[in-house]
Amino acid sequence: MSLTPLKAYLAGVASVAALLLVGSATFVLSGWYPMGADEHHHPLTYKLITVLRERSIERAASDIVVPKDLDSPDRLLAGGADYNDMCASCHLKPGKNESDFSQGLYPSPPNLTQISMAPNAMEKADQRRFWIIKHGIKASGMPAWGPTHDDERIWNMVAFLQRLPELSQQQYQILTARGE
Amino acid sequence: MNRSKWITVILAPAALISVSTWAHEPSEHMKTGEKADCSAMHDMDHSKMDMNDPVMQAMMQKCMHQNHGEAKGGEKQNAEHSGNGRPPSNAKADEHSHNH
Ligand code: HEC
Repeated sequence: MSLTPLKAYLAGVASVAALLLVGSATFVLSGWYPMGADEHHHPLTYKLITVLRERSIERAASDIVVPKDLDSPDRLLAGGADYNDMCASCHLKPGKNESDFSQGLYPSPPNLTQISMAPNAMEKADQRRFWIIKHGIKASGMPAWGPTHDDERIWNMVAFLQRLPELSQQQYQILTARGE
Repeated sequence: MNRSKWITVILAPAALISVSTWAHEPSEHMKTGEKADCSAMHDMDHSKMDMNDPVMQAMMQKCMHQNHGEAKGGEKQNAEHSGNGRPPSNAKADEHSHNH
């Protein structure tokens, strides 16, 4: 029998699709994929995931309204204490450059004492940080804090993150201490 | 025996869950939280302090009570650590003398 060109073309597409399907299923079910956190992605894969993450967050965070009073001492104190309790183990603090988490997690948690924002990029950075803290980042060590913390508490931490990179160890200690 | 077993089965997880809930309450941290080490404030160059800076205001707010309420003895002890204006290399060591 002879196929019309269209039918031949469709048959070709179908067999390539079937091959891809069988190939992916074999890959997934074979167990060949290295799942360990100490086995890093190919740089290209990592780049792709990063772009995916940033585009997704940028879109989702673009409507968030940043409070006008982030630069208030009360927010710094409340956010600082929470940061020290909940975040410093992964994101570090002045005088501490590594932890078990910062070394063992992959992707590794960025050192937030070293990421400062230019004033003109501040609003976008605040939106982005608020979104990340509230919702977390899927399949990374970054938890969603939204289910257990209200927006105000999250904004307090965003406020603290603005100033964190310039704090000395002493300033950090005073701002984050829970006791008087 | 059966009864106490049930109590354990139900209460142990309940206790665990409620403990992890407490962790979210700032007031709970207060009791165990470490004290602000305000001795550093005294050693700072006061002429360089910017009182309009929210970080400075927050530190003042935190240390206000200590400045008025506490004996000078504890502060003197720590002065040597930060005498040169640099952060102490080992902050942990400092905190002990100030806890509670
Ligand atoms: C268990 C470790 C862990 C804890 C605890 C944690 N994070 Fe993260 N966080 C991460 C990881 C890992 C990433 C990076 C994820 C990625 O690269 O996709 C991250 C990313 C972030 C980012 C984005 C940083 C950037 O500029 O790219 C912010 C902001 C952040 N975390 C804030 C916080 C705050 C605030 C807390 C405390 C409430 C916190 N995190 C607690 C692991 C953690």
